[in-house]
Amino acid sequence: MSSIGVDEWSSRVREEQSSASRPHALRRHASRIGWWPRLGVFGVVMLLLPHIGLSVYQEQVGINALLLALTAVGLNIAVGWAGLFDLGYVAFYGFGAYVFALLASNQLGQHGIHLDAFLAIPIAVVVTALIGVVLGQTTRRVSGDYLAILTLFFAEAFNEVTNNVDSNRLGGPNGISGVDPIHAFGSSITTPLGYYYLLAVVLVLVMAGLHLLDKGRIGHAWQSVREDALVARLMTIPINRVKLIAYALGAGVAALAGSIFAASQGGVYPISFTQPTLVLIYAALVVGGTGTLSGAAAGALALTVVTELLRQPNYAGDVFYGAILLGLVLTIRPRIRLAAMLGTLMVAGFAARAIVEAADPEWAAGPLQSGGVVRTLLGHWLIVPSSPTIPGNWAVVVLVALGMAATTTRGVVRDICIVGAVYAAAFAWEARLAAEPSITRQMLIGALLVSVMIVRPQGFFGFRRTAVV
Amino acid sequence: MQLFVQLCVDGLTLGCMYALIALGYSMVYGVLRMLNLAHGDLYMIGAFIGYFILQWSGGPTALALPVPLVLVCMFAVAAIGSAGIGVVIERFAYRPLRKAPSVAALVSSLGVFFLLESAAILFFGAQSRSYNTESFLSFHTGIHLGPLNISLVRILTVVIATATMIGLTVLVRRTSLGRNMRAVSADREAAEMLGISVNQTVRNTFIIGSALAGVAGVMSGLVFGQAVSSLGLVAGLKGFTAAVIGGIGNLPGAMLGGLVIGLAESFTTGYISSTYSNLMVFGLLIVVMLLRPSGLLGKAIAEKV
Amino acid sequence: MRTRITLTLIAAGATLAGVTACSTSGGGSSSVSGGSASSGRGFSSGCNATIAFIGPYTGNFAQIGEEQLHFTQYAIDQYNHAHHASIRLVEGDTQLQPAQAVTVTQQFISDPNVVAAVSGGSSQEILAVGPLLSRANMVDISGSANQDNLTSSGFTSFFRVVPRSSLQAQDISAYVLGHLHPKKSVIVDDQSSYSTAITSQLLAALTAGGVSVDHESVSQQTTDYSSLVSKIGKDTDLVILPWQIAANAEQFAQAMQEQGVTATIFGTDGIFSPSQFNAAGSYVASFAPDITQIPTDQSLAGVMEQKYGTFGTYGPPMYAATEVVLGAINKLCTAGTPVTRENVLAQVRNTDDSSSILGQPIKFMPTGDLVGGRYFIFKIDADKKYTVVSGVS
Repeated sequence: MSSIGVDEWSSRVREEQSSASRPHALRRHASRIGWWPRLGVFGVVMLLLPHIGLSVYQEQVGINALLLALTAVGLNIAVGWAGLFDLGYVAFYGFGAYVFALLASNQLGQHGIHLDAFLAIPIAVVVTALIGVVLGQTTRRVSGDYLAILTLFFAEAFNEVTNNVDSNRLGGPNGISGVDPIHAFGSSITTPLGYYYLLAVVLVLVMAGLHLLDKGRIGHAWQSVREDALVARLMTIPINRVKLIAYALGAGVAALAGSIFAASQGGVYPISFTQPTLVLIYAALVVGGTGTLSGAAAGALALTVVTELLRQPNYAGDVFYGAILLGLVLTIRPRIRLAAMLGTLMVAGFAARAIVEAADPEWAAGPLQSGGVVRTLLGHWLIVPSSPTIPGNWAVVVLVALGMAATTTRGVVRDICIVGAVYAAAFAWEARLAAEPSITRQMLIGALLVSVMIVRPQGFFGFRRTAVV
Repeated sequence: MQLFVQLCVDGLTLGCMYALIALGYSMVYGVLRMLNLAHGDLYMIGAFIGYFILQWSGGPTALALPVPLVLVCMFAVAAIGSAGIGVVIERFAYRPLRKAPSVAALVSSLGVFFLLESAAILFFGAQSRSYNTESFLSFHTGIHLGPLNISLVRILTVVIATATMIGLTVLVRRTSLGRNMRAVSADREAAEMLGISVNQTVRNTFIIGSALAGVAGVMSGLVFGQAVSSLGLVAGLKGFTAAVIGGIGNLPGAMLGGLVIGLAESFTTGYISSTYSNLMVFGLLIVVMLLRPSGLLGKAIAEKV
Repeated sequence: MRTRITLTLIAAGATLAGVTACSTSGGGSSSVSGGSASSGRGFSSGCNATIAFIGPYTGNFAQIGEEQLHFTQYAIDQYNHAHHASIRLVEGDTQLQPAQAVTVTQQFISDPNVVAAVSGGSSQEILAVGPLLSRANMVDISGSANQDNLTSSGFTSFFRVVPRSSLQAQDISAYVLGHLHPKKSVIVDDQSSYSTAITSQLLAALTAGGVSVDHESVSQQTTDYSSLVSKIGKDTDLVILPWQIAANAEQFAQAMQEQGVTATIFGTDGIFSPSQFNAAGSYVASFAPDITQIPTDQSLAGVMEQKYGTFGTYGPPMYAATEVVLGAINKLCTAGTPVTRENVLAQVRNTDDSSSILGQPIKFMPTGDLVGGRYFIFKIDADKKYTVVSGVS
């Protein structure tokens, strides 16, 4: 609780000092290197990555990650730097994609317009930026949460229009297929590897450009508007124009990403630009750290890789068990206590299985879902009934309950809860969760978002901001 | 003329459903200044709870208990269940983020939304479950006005929504809990200094808001007949729209917003085309926001410098 | 602070692990039916191949994908049991998003163990992944994508066991014009690509036949149809619902009943579901006879109902599609030919099964469409049973 009777400025400075006395280790190391070299290293790593031998799938994942990074970086301008709300961002992404699709396919006119990428992409970017200005105009009259709501419904309106209006030209739910790949200098990019390289280069260039803007006058203007708009206006900063620029620029970056997305997919479909996509972009930005370019990019890359790992059944199991063990190792000290708990868990597990096998073999006859090392380790330790669905469901509930209990209790009770939770987790995984990989992936993504926010609300690279009351 | 009256009835029922969800949203936002995106999922859970109570009482075609008793059970258990889950969500996903920037709480609520929707598919499967209301509560019990039939469940919806709104307004204005809620909403720190337990007040707010969502879920099952895991998204969105149009944080406003949306959808479908009904709602929202940014009944709050 | 360093190291380590591990073993695929790890490294996997399922298993369209996945799994389990094999299934969840469909398809293409794919979901996803699969020579048999242009876009490895949507529009409009003679009708689409395609075809056919047809549209997420029903009113004879979700159609029927609207409902194959849609007096089209009434299928129907509850129209064609793939693999195995993607594709092209669970033979045209595909019209009588009224030869 902040100090009573102390003025706002002093209490803010005090809070900043207390959080600055323990700077984030990574940021400390990173700040020694300097921003431009870091960007250079990042760019080189991304461009060299395919040379270690990536499959088409991994290149596709790379494309997804880079697209998400580009959109997150664009979102960062309005949300992170200017402090505005923009829940309609996905509509800009879609708008850019659709404009590109209309200009570079058979859709319009007799044989369609097949503009070169050099023309089509800038047109898409400029048109979308203008739409961003239109949206920005509404910020004159509303602010804060109302702004969030308005932008959210702008996105919904976009979705409705692309789905239901003018199906002949916009394609309706079928979207527009047969979009040209990117043509430039007489050749075109048709392979995933090509788009990967293109996106890596574009991302580095966009980040460089935005960094320059951020360090310039407009960046300072955004920062003032974010911190205190009224004061900014009193200091003669034209806040409306500044906000409009933020929206327009963010929209432009989104349109760039959208155009490349349309070209790489060879089509645009309205369902790609709905809430789930927006959620992903926001999650990438917030988890990485709002307000920083590196945060946006890093969050996007990390989120894409983790969610793809969760898609592979073997790796999902490794991630799951790995995360549990890691959580235990990090939170339980001293190590003796951890060893004692794990020991108790082992013994209890073996004992329980022995008892159950003796009593009713049916109950322990079920198959384990994991393979390899995990299977051999757990085979004689875990009970898996032969009809595992319902006990598995219950185990999920028990896991959540014990997990929550573990965060609220102390001492021996807490240890018991943790031991129980680990057993329940293994049981739930083997009996139920691993058998439904897609559903489990969604649940783990949700759990990941919640836990990251609780552990580090400012994101991995973000700065802790003090809100002046 | 008959079409007009019928559309009014349809619109009012739909509107009251949205109002019930909107009331919960408004309450939580009013006290916490937080957009709880997982609210729609509590509605979905309420619908499932109602379905299972129905099954355990013998199923829609062969109820073993008298219908009024089953209905009361459905509402009560759904309210308690949703309230319980709401409290748990608040305690573990939102309370740690009270001092954090509001976008962190937003992302956390998104995570909760994913978690609940996937858990529902895991436990209940993705298929939709049918309430089959006709079997135990015939469409013909109700008011008959000439060729017009207003079935009992629709009347029930309007009655429950109105009663809830009145009850909540009384709660907020006359009881000590309401006073605490208003205090926490106005200035959280000052309220804490005056001895009001913020944690308890927030928890009680969530209990009431989530219970409302649960009741709305059962209502939806009875009137619209389906319980399915994808209910949460659209319901949340529409309830949210209703709350905003009426003035978020304002209880009669939530009801008004719900009715406005319900009637707008209904009349657009009836007189123009069902294709544009959603678009009309969004258009309405944008118009309201541009003309009266704080909502129809909201008060324009001057920001303290 | 130690926490933060460790967490960052883990993130880096996981990323590296993911990348390197994926690149060496070519993606993981664990058994859903309890088999052992596969040993094949090249593009041939012996007789223990892996089949991929591409479809929407979570998200707002999970209803469709879930049923399809269960039937696919069951077909593979049956095969493994009968032939003492361990064919594996990997699922790729698309959430009905073409972008995710591309990602999971690339995942399967990069996995050398995957020799064939079956897909559920919608036509949009096929449009996005068709070129990729054709280039990789990996066969994909769809049990639900029926848009016409899928077999005229040059996809060399795409097949489907359901007839084209224009055939359905043809058969339905023939029946309506020949038997029903409505004076006023309405067609309501559900804003999906399946629905809008067949809607435009039906509108054209019926208007050409002299029937006055109004066109409405609702979202699949709509829960309340009462205002639409009010608009349709009591002077409409026929309401055509080319919808994907049977439960929604049932809801619509109940709303009609509540308001005393007596129009006849005519549904397309998407809402064929004796358990979920049974409004008396309605008609439903289907690309196959009702499998619960085919004697040879009744044990299958019984098992599926017991395990997973009621099913509709999406499961059985996936079973049939999976059986085609399994049949191809079996032929290659027994002849001793290596089970590669190209061989499976060639074998599938030559499929000539005289019967299937869909009650009709399966043979493919060069374009990938089903030979002899046609639609059956069912009528639902007062005791909620489906009886065939047209299409039976």
